[in-house]
Amino acid sequence: MNSFLTAFFSGTAQGAIYALVSLGLVLVWRGAGVVNFAQMGQAMFTTYIASQMIQHNNSYWSAFVVALICGALLGALVDLAIMRPLTSRKNSQLLNSQSMRTTIPVIASLGILGVLKALAGILWAGEERGFPSPVAPNAIKIGSTNLAITGFDLFVIGVVFAALVLTTIFFTKTGMGLAMRASALNPEVTRLSGIRVGSVRTLGWAISGTASSLAGLLVTPRTNLSPNTLDLLLIVGFTAAVVGGLSSLAGSVLGGFILGYVISFVNVYSAPENVFIAILVFLLLALFLRPQGILGSKEVRRV
Amino acid sequence: MSKHRTHKIIGLRSTALSLLLFLFFILLNNQFGAYNQSQLANIATLLIAVLSITLLTGASGQISLGQGAIMAVGGYSSALLVTRLGFSMWISIILAIFISALFGLFLGLAAARLSGPYLAGTTLVMALAIPSIAVRFETFFSGDVGLSVDYGMPPIWLTNIVGEISIEEWSLYVALPFTAAALFAVLNLLNTRTGRTWRAVRDNEVAAALAGINISRTKIFVFVVASALAGLAGALYGFRGLVAPSVYPTDLSLTLLTAAVIGGLRSIGGAIFGTFAIVFLPDLIERVSANFTIPETIGNYLPGLTIGLLLLLTVITNPRGAAGALEDLRHHRHRKKH
Repeated sequence: MNSFLTAFFSGTAQGAIYALVSLGLVLVWRGAGVVNFAQMGQAMFTTYIASQMIQHNNSYWSAFVVALICGALLGALVDLAIMRPLTSRKNSQLLNSQSMRTTIPVIASLGILGVLKALAGILWAGEERGFPSPVAPNAIKIGSTNLAITGFDLFVIGVVFAALVLTTIFFTKTGMGLAMRASALNPEVTRLSGIRVGSVRTLGWAISGTASSLAGLLVTPRTNLSPNTLDLLLIVGFTAAVVGGLSSLAGSVLGGFILGYVISFVNVYSAPENVFIAILVFLLLALFLRPQGILGSKEVRRV
Repeated sequence: MSKHRTHKIIGLRSTALSLLLFLFFILLNNQFGAYNQSQLANIATLLIAVLSITLLTGASGQISLGQGAIMAVGGYSSALLVTRLGFSMWISIILAIFISALFGLFLGLAAARLSGPYLAGTTLVMALAIPSIAVRFETFFSGDVGLSVDYGMPPIWLTNIVGEISIEEWSLYVALPFTAAALFAVLNLLNTRTGRTWRAVRDNEVAAALAGINISRTKIFVFVVASALAGLAGALYGFRGLVAPSVYPTDLSLTLLTAAVIGGLRSIGGAIFGTFAIVFLPDLIERVSANFTIPETIGNYLPGLTIGLLLLLTVITNPRGAAGALEDLRHHRHRKKH
């Protein structure tokens, strides 16, 4: 029973982080039709910035805020400097072909990932370093019995919950959120109703950058920080997004938690070596059984 | 021109080009020292895998971020056949091609349902998961340690003809016939009906389907051919000494894609150029940076940075790669003349 509870709580905490990553991926996919494989590279970069700040005696929370702002800026920069010029090229023969229009941005995002990793390696020497957390990763005690949940798990779940509530409020209650949903659904009509679709799109990239940067800050106390540590997180986030439905924001969050439980239970009841295979099998199963995802609608999936 | 005659011309042209490639490598080999000879053997091997991307992404528009994993399938197949069953190197390489093709068939069955980002993500997950299978089933695949295999010694009849052969040269002599054969096959496929079918599917699936092309079957077939090529490359790559998860990392898949993109996704010449570029670029950067005092920690990341920037620059300014730039240049000059 105790190992079940351990798996359940660490699955919830991990799943919360995966939910952020997958939310970031889905935001950009809906807004721009691009799966951003550089996303966790951006997060790695901003986490390094936070780590540098903490090493120079700044407080955890100021580093935390700066990292999130940098995440937003980096996301917007990727859209403005690379993705927008890429997709606005109408005359290119290569981009005229249907399949290449989705393939070329994917390749570009891999290039960004490579550059960010190399830059982080050059700037910060590339060795693994720890990353602090504001809460000790010890199990919470009541009297003398250890509970199955750690303080850090609670912290992660709390922060992600707050972030998800903010995102929900943004999308349902604000005009900008409405504009974003509208332009994801039908950019042409949205443009005609007087909304700057381009700026809305860049905002989507910025929010996605913030979400993944938050994920980076929350996951590195466990995994340590190096230019490659967050690669796995991208894979898991992508799988979560596909499981939940690439077109659905709520689905992506749901997918994140599902993946958290799958990985955590495989870790506890099987062996850590099986995690990769479990992810692959789970992804293939999802693609075969429900290719549009749990909450995705069938016609939205661009095939 | 009759169909028969066209085919004959295409066949002759691809034979000539493959022979030319063969001679070009031999010529370079005679100019090079031992280190560059082994790099040349690497190019001959990796070129086969890059050609598989030219087929997949360039000709049929399907992206794969997992060609390195398929190389691992080929590598493990041949290494297991040699070490466990005592097969000879040549037979194991041939069998590895078939096993990888079979793997490609299964992959294609899944991939035919996917497109664009779905395919990219799934193949990326595969690139990570497949090497970890070797660790998971340690007793069979010998885990992280891997299986040691090698090219062996050159046969006596060959040394009698061409004289003493170093290990580096021998690895090139083994790989090169396969490279030439792969080039021949790819040229023939792309310039005939099959290639036109692939391009039709790439450019517009609906139009292709209306023209009577079976989309899924076409996509699956591309995956079978591309996997056979990547598996062959993987087998040859393993015979350099070791077949282990570390030999086929995720970065290998991305490096292959980079080579194909830099050279030009839609061009065979581009694939050759791109492969040369990614193999020799790190050496070149090292030689240039030796003139400056750069700390080792930074020097380690310079090749990655350069290749990443090159990839980004190619995609943004000139998505058709080096081959496309060359073509534009030629058109430009042509127009000026008239």
